[in-house]
Amino acid sequence: MNAPDRYERFVVPEGTKKVSYERDTKIINAASFTIEREDHTIGNILRMQLHRDENVLFAGYKLPHPLQYKIIVRVHTTSQSSPMQAYNQAINDLDKELDHLRNAFETEMAKHSRDY
Amino acid sequence: MEAGASYQRFPKVKVRELKDDYLKFELRDTDASVANALRRVMIAEVPTIAIDLVEIEVNSSVLNDEFIAHRLGLIPLTSERAMSMRFSRDCDACDGDGQCEFCSVEFHLRAKCMTDQTLDVTSKDLISSDHTVVPVDFSDALGGDDSSEQKGITIVKLRRGQELRLRAIARKGIGKDHAKWSPAATVTFMYEPEIHINEDLMETLSLEQRQSWVESSPTKVFEMDPNTEQVVVIDPEAYTYDDEVIKKAEAMGKPGLVEIYAKEDSFIFTVESTGAIKSSQLVVNAIEVLKQKLDAVRLSEDTVEADDQFGELGAHMRGG
Ligand SMILES: [Zn+2]
Repeated sequence: MNAPDRYERFVVPEGTKKVSYERDTKIINAASFTIEREDHTIGNILRMQLHRDENVLFAGYKLPHPLQYKIIVRVHTTSQSSPMQAYNQAINDLDKELDHLRNAFETEMAKHSRDY
Repeated sequence: MEAGASYQRFPKVKVRELKDDYLKFELRDTDASVANALRRVMIAEVPTIAIDLVEIEVNSSVLNDEFIAHRLGLIPLTSERAMSMRFSRDCDACDGDGQCEFCSVEFHLRAKCMTDQTLDVTSKDLISSDHTVVPVDFSDALGGDDSSEQKGITIVKLRRGQELRLRAIARKGIGKDHAKWSPAATVTFMYEPEIHINEDLMETLSLEQRQSWVESSPTKVFEMDPNTEQVVVIDPEAYTYDDEVIKKAEAMGKPGLVEIYAKEDSFIFTVESTGAIKSSQLVVNAIEVLKQKLDAVRLSEDTVEADDQFGELGAHMRGG
């Protein structure tokens, strides 16, 4: 009777921010992004995309606990960039990659359904 | 601090085999994180429609009400509409009860056995209020000839006098919530293998040695051509990264006879759909859902503003 709703695993509760940002207090250009209701799907692509950025010195993510439905992405950059800039860039690049992928896939499907 | 260099990739796709419920394709020029994100989204986050609420009017069958409700939930329904449909929980047209036309589809089932012949109640007996959302028809997928197998998914069997009457509501959902909403039967990907045989070393092997080396692979990756007596790779993708041929070469005292690499930017995907949506549509929808997820994790204006203020404050405190 007191079981939590199943959708609590993927619906952000009212009054909670999807993404919160916290600067590191000791290290300059280091910060953590806490992303609510996300998991390895987003965590790992963000991390790997951040690794492609030459101004990123460190990028990692963790899922602190399987029953806490959030991930923490930590980014440390050089002074040429900032965690926020790197984070935004990573999302933009992934978004453009997926646009390209969808076009490539649809072109290929159109080619296939013609001789099918 | 705006617009740094772009680190975007331009992946390539090649479709190998295409059927309504099966797709095999190559994905190149990206990494395992993107391939895995697509796989995870196809399984758990591409929406479909499935029965979620059942009101039993009469049930004198041998199965109890919740058993039947569970079986109904697992029946795949055609879900082309799902991407544009609303989740009941965000539907404002039906203050939260999730039973309006924007977020649900109603089904009725009435069956009674009147003869001594056992009556099979199947997914074909479900009457939908929306002709675009109906139980998946597997008849042509099963290869037409065998007409005895074309009667839908059995829900329950009734004997003389037993009856089942119910109303069911189907809703949009995702596999993360309950597996009944997953459009994927299986989605897998593998690294494309690159296999190089050291021909000079192979020359030093006798015929029997070559034959036994070829046979050491648990899958049919290599073959010895009976005419030329050369060992050739016939199916690199049959290789399961089991290392058996490498161990065999070492045991024969011929290390380096074969070198096998996993190409870390090339993947071979197989996608099998439950029939709820076409396999090709499943991939397209997964890309779309992943894009929506990425868009949702963008930093909000107020987060950026709050940091600008805090950032200055922080700089003051550090004496900057
Ligand atoms: Zn509604």
